[in-house]
Amino acid sequence: MTRILLRNKLDDCIAAWQKAGFSVLAPVKRHEMSSFGEVRKADEMALDLVLTERTIKDQFFPQTEPLIKYKIGKHQIDSETMTPPEKKRVFFGVRPCDASGLAIDDPLFGWDYKDDYWFGRRENSVIVTIACSQADDFCMCTSVKLSPDSTKGADVMLRPLSDGSGWQVEAMSDRGTALVETISSLLQESSAEAAPVPQVAEKFDVEKVMEWLADKENFESQFWKDIALRCVGCGSCTFLCPTCHCFDIQDEGDTYQGIRRKNWDSCSFALFTMHTSGHNPRNTQSTRWRQRIMHKFNYYQGKFGVNSCTGCGRCTRQCPVDMGITETLQAITNLPR
Amino acid sequence: MIYSPFPMRVVSKRTEAPGVNTLKLEFVKEEDHEFFKANYKTGMFGLYGIFGEGESTFCVASPETRKDYIECTFRQSGRVTSTLANTDAGDIVTFRGPYGNRFPIEQFEGKNLLFIAGGIALPPTRSVIWSCLDQREKYKGVTIVYGARTVADLVYKDELDEWKKRDDVRLVLTVDPGGETPDWQDHVGFVPTILEQAAPSPENTIAVLCGPPIMIKFTLAALEKLGFTAENVYTTLENRMKCGVGKCGRCNVGSVYICKEGPVFTAAEVQAMPQADL
Repeated sequence: MTRILLRNKLDDCIAAWQKAGFSVLAPVKRHEMSSFGEVRKADEMALDLVLTERTIKDQFFPQTEPLIKYKIGKHQIDSETMTPPEKKRVFFGVRPCDASGLAIDDPLFGWDYKDDYWFGRRENSVIVTIACSQADDFCMCTSVKLSPDSTKGADVMLRPLSDGSGWQVEAMSDRGTALVETISSLLQESSAEAAPVPQVAEKFDVEKVMEWLADKENFESQFWKDIALRCVGCGSCTFLCPTCHCFDIQDEGDTYQGIRRKNWDSCSFALFTMHTSGHNPRNTQSTRWRQRIMHKFNYYQGKFGVNSCTGCGRCTRQCPVDMGITETLQAITNLPR
Repeated sequence: MIYSPFPMRVVSKRTEAPGVNTLKLEFVKEEDHEFFKANYKTGMFGLYGIFGEGESTFCVASPETRKDYIECTFRQSGRVTSTLANTDAGDIVTFRGPYGNRFPIEQFEGKNLLFIAGGIALPPTRSVIWSCLDQREKYKGVTIVYGARTVADLVYKDELDEWKKRDDVRLVLTVDPGGETPDWQDHVGFVPTILEQAAPSPENTIAVLCGPPIMIKFTLAALEKLGFTAENVYTTLENRMKCGVGKCGRCNVGSVYICKEGPVFTAAEVQAMPQADL
């Protein structure tokens, strides 16, 4: 017997969480691209998506984040530090890949210097993951040692019932237990079985890839030049990646006032590493693509013991030239050894 | 909050060379000063900024033995540096830091010190030089080899005169061929060549080397010829930075984050990095 949440109780569930002081965010199809957005009714949710086109990262590390508001006067400059919103939030229907992305980025935003903007939101959020019941051709979580029912990063894990009527509910953390407590009257004990987890084929051998990347001889391999030839450097893959965290800090405003902002940036862009002198350590698209792959499957592993990829496949799904990480890692897997 | 800078008051501005200025900054808030005093060590860097323009990364050019103020020396080349260069005494700018690692000068105690700098790279070297000269008794011989493109491009001219007059410092000055003036008394030639001629002994000596990549490359070769090992040569790297605290993802060379694991490295550590990423 496990506790289950029925779909037809979702409206009550949202109401209970709102009453407990939470905003509820779920997959929605409101804009051109599906994303996470606040919902008040269950029918606003798009729970049938394989996964949202935009990642949940947006909600913790927004595309643009105001850091400091400033006013430039004749004799002085006034500035005011801005803090992240303190609103408590429930993220309902997060896919396992996106939830792992948050867990993967935590150590980066926390090593030595704690990014208050990331952790302010993390600490006020509860992640309710729903295991996948479908996958598409781009999904590759199993290739990076995650799975369609991975609980990494989840505070509460929901597993779909085979008849589609609801989910098995399991709290994964203290925060999750407390959240489940707020809807305990809506849950029921049931022996209904969970739906089988979809098969996601392994697309590359990540161990082989990591071994090849770790070999210093390969850093200047012709492979990088060939594989990155068709990259147009648009940066879509980085913006849609649940773990890409690169940013810029810019002052945006007019002569008298403005806001210092932390804006998304991308290692795909030539200006990203350009020195004032004009020297650019990563001056070609191939060196930038190499940086992206090395960062995810070698450097990050060395620093934080985990690869910076969740296998969500968005980089390939949305690439305008049909490139993406999958193809590169497949090619590395298949290189003659 | 993590990206909030300290307000700093400009005490004075000194023009070092065409387009190169030094700002002396004092703390506006006592708590910021206390933080700086507790954390600053020679070799660390900061982000200097001005609201409305942004922030730029340079070293702290003042030594760890003088923590009542911060000095920074920079070439005017973009929005931020141009605005900083146009400040006057009393103006408020910002500082975020000190970040990064440091020159382990307590490990240099009892040793000879050889400082080598080229052009605008004297400021980071100067921070180490004064940190050691202010505790002169702890170190043995001090040699400073400094070169710039032209006589006009030499920075800290007053301090160069001061070092020249000291009998416990050997100062070797040079300018690139063609950069000398009619009354120039010192060497003419590139730093690596002049260094080889000066031939400082590698015996019990630590070298601190800062300069543009091309100078570093040839100077390292010269040091090797003189018998220095890469473990005894320290340098400081610079890369474009935005956060300064290992998050924004741009300053890494291979897996090494310059902002957190650097900017100070031994030549051996630099040689272990993927050279194509430097």
